[in-house]
Amino acid sequence: MEKVLLKKAFPQWVKKLESYTIYSPQKDGDLWNYEVIKNSEAIDLDYLNTVLSPKKIIFPQREVLLEFSTSNEEELKVKEVLPEEMPAVIFGVRPCDAKALTLTDKVFGGDFKDPYYWKRRNSTALVGLTCNAPPSSNCFCLSVDGSPYSKEGLDILMTDLGDKYYAESFTKKGDELLNSAKALFKTPTAKDKKDLEKIKAESKKKVKRQIKDTAKIPPKLKDMFDSPFWDEESLSCIRCGICTYLCPTCHCFDMNDEVTSSSPIQGERVRTWDNCQFPDFTMHSSGHNPRPDKASRLRQRILHKFQYFVELYKNYQCTGCGRCISKCPVGIDIIEVLEKARDYGR
Amino acid sequence: MAEEFEPKIVAFLCKWCSSAGSDLAGVSRMEYPSNVIPITVMCSGSVSPLYIFSAFNKGADGVLVSGCHPGDCHYIKGNFYARRRIALVKKLLEYVGLEPERFQMSWVSAAEGVKYTQVIKDFVKELKPLGPQKKLRRTQ
Amino acid sequence: MVNLEELKKEASQILKEGKVKYIIGFQRSSNGLLPVPAFIKDPEDADKLVWDPACVYNLTLFLRDEKRKKEKEKEPDERPVGIIVKGCDSRAINVLLQEEFIKREDVYVLGISCENTGVLDEKKLAKKLKGKKAKRVEFGAKDDFVITTEDGQVKIAAQEVLAERCLECKAHFPVIYDVLIGEKTKRNVENPFKSLEKTESLPPEERWKFWKEQIEKCIRCYACRSVCPMCYCDECVADTINFVVTPENFVYHFVRAIHLAGRCIDCGECERVCPLDIPVRFLNKKLEKEAKELFDYEAGFDPEKPSLVSSFKDEDPEDFIR
Repeated sequence: MEKVLLKKAFPQWVKKLESYTIYSPQKDGDLWNYEVIKNSEAIDLDYLNTVLSPKKIIFPQREVLLEFSTSNEEELKVKEVLPEEMPAVIFGVRPCDAKALTLTDKVFGGDFKDPYYWKRRNSTALVGLTCNAPPSSNCFCLSVDGSPYSKEGLDILMTDLGDKYYAESFTKKGDELLNSAKALFKTPTAKDKKDLEKIKAESKKKVKRQIKDTAKIPPKLKDMFDSPFWDEESLSCIRCGICTYLCPTCHCFDMNDEVTSSSPIQGERVRTWDNCQFPDFTMHSSGHNPRPDKASRLRQRILHKFQYFVELYKNYQCTGCGRCISKCPVGIDIIEVLEKARDYGR
Repeated sequence: MAEEFEPKIVAFLCKWCSSAGSDLAGVSRMEYPSNVIPITVMCSGSVSPLYIFSAFNKGADGVLVSGCHPGDCHYIKGNFYARRRIALVKKLLEYVGLEPERFQMSWVSAAEGVKYTQVIKDFVKELKPLGPQKKLRRTQ
Repeated sequence: MVNLEELKKEASQILKEGKVKYIIGFQRSSNGLLPVPAFIKDPEDADKLVWDPACVYNLTLFLRDEKRKKEKEKEPDERPVGIIVKGCDSRAINVLLQEEFIKREDVYVLGISCENTGVLDEKKLAKKLKGKKAKRVEFGAKDDFVITTEDGQVKIAAQEVLAERCLECKAHFPVIYDVLIGEKTKRNVENPFKSLEKTESLPPEERWKFWKEQIEKCIRCYACRSVCPMCYCDECVADTINFVVTPENFVYHFVRAIHLAGRCIDCGECERVCPLDIPVRFLNKKLEKEAKELFDYEAGFDPEKPSLVSSFKDEDPEDFIR
């Protein structure tokens, strides 16, 4: 379904969606982050990109999996705590972040479907926003099989045509959202369609950064496991964790039991984000750590994203959002590392 | 009938002086409010800021650190270090907006059973109007 | 004016003579305004070194990596590491010496004076340029910065885009050095704790609201800790992996602030690297102020002096003790 919506009618559409929990990027100082908006007037799609991707709504940083307790009978009761069925709509999702969710879908799906992830994923609709101009000077979606108007992972893609939004719906969920305010949406005119094509064509040209010959990288990386290349590239890494936590495709997690009372026993099993760049990520209880240094951890990050994931799922585990480049405290640039790896030894 | 709020005080008492002082108060059958959860530490100088923040995090309405008088420390200098460190913790908590009455320090010697009861009585009296500590308390 | 050629010559010289293992300095980044850390081993590569107002990093944090690397080697190279430092960074070296984390012979300090200015704050600059992207910043002749954008060059008075900490700087040129490049200018700083005034003047409930909002944003990426040269513990005591949700985030930030009391030298890196713009610097600054006012202690000027929390004076205030 394809429709157009006047910008001034946009808050009215949002108001019609009152039964959903609405998320949209909200400004906080100089940054944006996804927040629940209670007032439909607060919706504003004039933004670049958020610090944390919408992944944090579907896969929160901390979630309770189980609750356990003993009572007077001393029998341990375990209760699964699935997330509530709460229909939600996330507005303003950039195509790279939406594509990233299709990649985490592969990890949390497959032979075993993670019930916590899918409960949220299935009840959340994603409404994307075309990148008329790259949100960041470090965007490189085109080099990793993405695009500023990619529809992967989205239910609806909105494009800013100036005074109106062009809304393309790709799924039943998307159709439902558009139908909830039929009166506000109009059929696109021939001019609207032409404007849309023009914006999309221009948007591709504006993406400044790129990796040349990305396809050459996975096979090259396969031979570089033992290379001293990683020692040189990781010299300035400070093992913080920003690149991984901000990445829309990263998904490693840790599970722990938090016991709040010992008699009677009461506690929760909690899942939290984990970070392969933290030194203790691979620490064994024996004290041995297979990735004790920065070189092995940087190698892990790059190989996981551009070799292992490609071999398993035929996709780069990177959608070119550029957050890791913009926010790295010491200016480590994944594009630079990949290009150097591609040309290493020549 | 509404129950009156009873503040929970976590008190870090040094083994050689303050804890002994609290024991003296008990043995002498002195009456004082039962709101205190005493934790004996070897020296007031061994109280780490982590204990204090942890106590507030687990729900303490007030935290007390009590040690030997300056010059009387069993380990000679421990309470002098405590004096500096606790001053810094107090200033930090005040800066972030926690009520300053919630975090106290006292010198109580092993012979000062009466002083100990007075410190606790005063502390409970100051905490009652403040209500439960919600700011640093664990919510999940 | 700091003579970059002088720096390069000195660097190249000590590498040629084998005086140092390698030099930690700044080099041009392939993408972005801020120069990135360079680890220079060859005397010819000394030409890569740069010095401009965007050299904001505190490179002393890499001394920690060097120490760890040395500990693992069977026959370590005992030569010092060359390091390029500004005034604030040099105070970090003094703190590390004071705590005997490194020995004086482990570092060869190439000190650079900030003279009358300092380093810039990227965010302030972005606001000043109103959306135009800065490609390069250089020191101007008259206490200003010369900024190159895609539209050409523009001069901005340094005071308008200096980092907050530079406006309260206590060490305009390195306090410890083997070589000093640039002049020992004396600047007058009226109020070294001015940036605290805004939060300190708020009533307690407002202050609490401010800090709660800020610290709730924290995602525990630990960048503030990783970038701090003074946070060199192998295992951090405040590192409990599950405590993501407030108020637990407080425990991490407050414990870190107390552990840095009397050790933080206000390089401002913790605040710069935070991806969520949490003003962590204020927590450390507050304790720096208290250290000065209550105990007359300033970190990083005298490596021989005992540290703040491992010393005491008979006159230490005790009016708060019952």
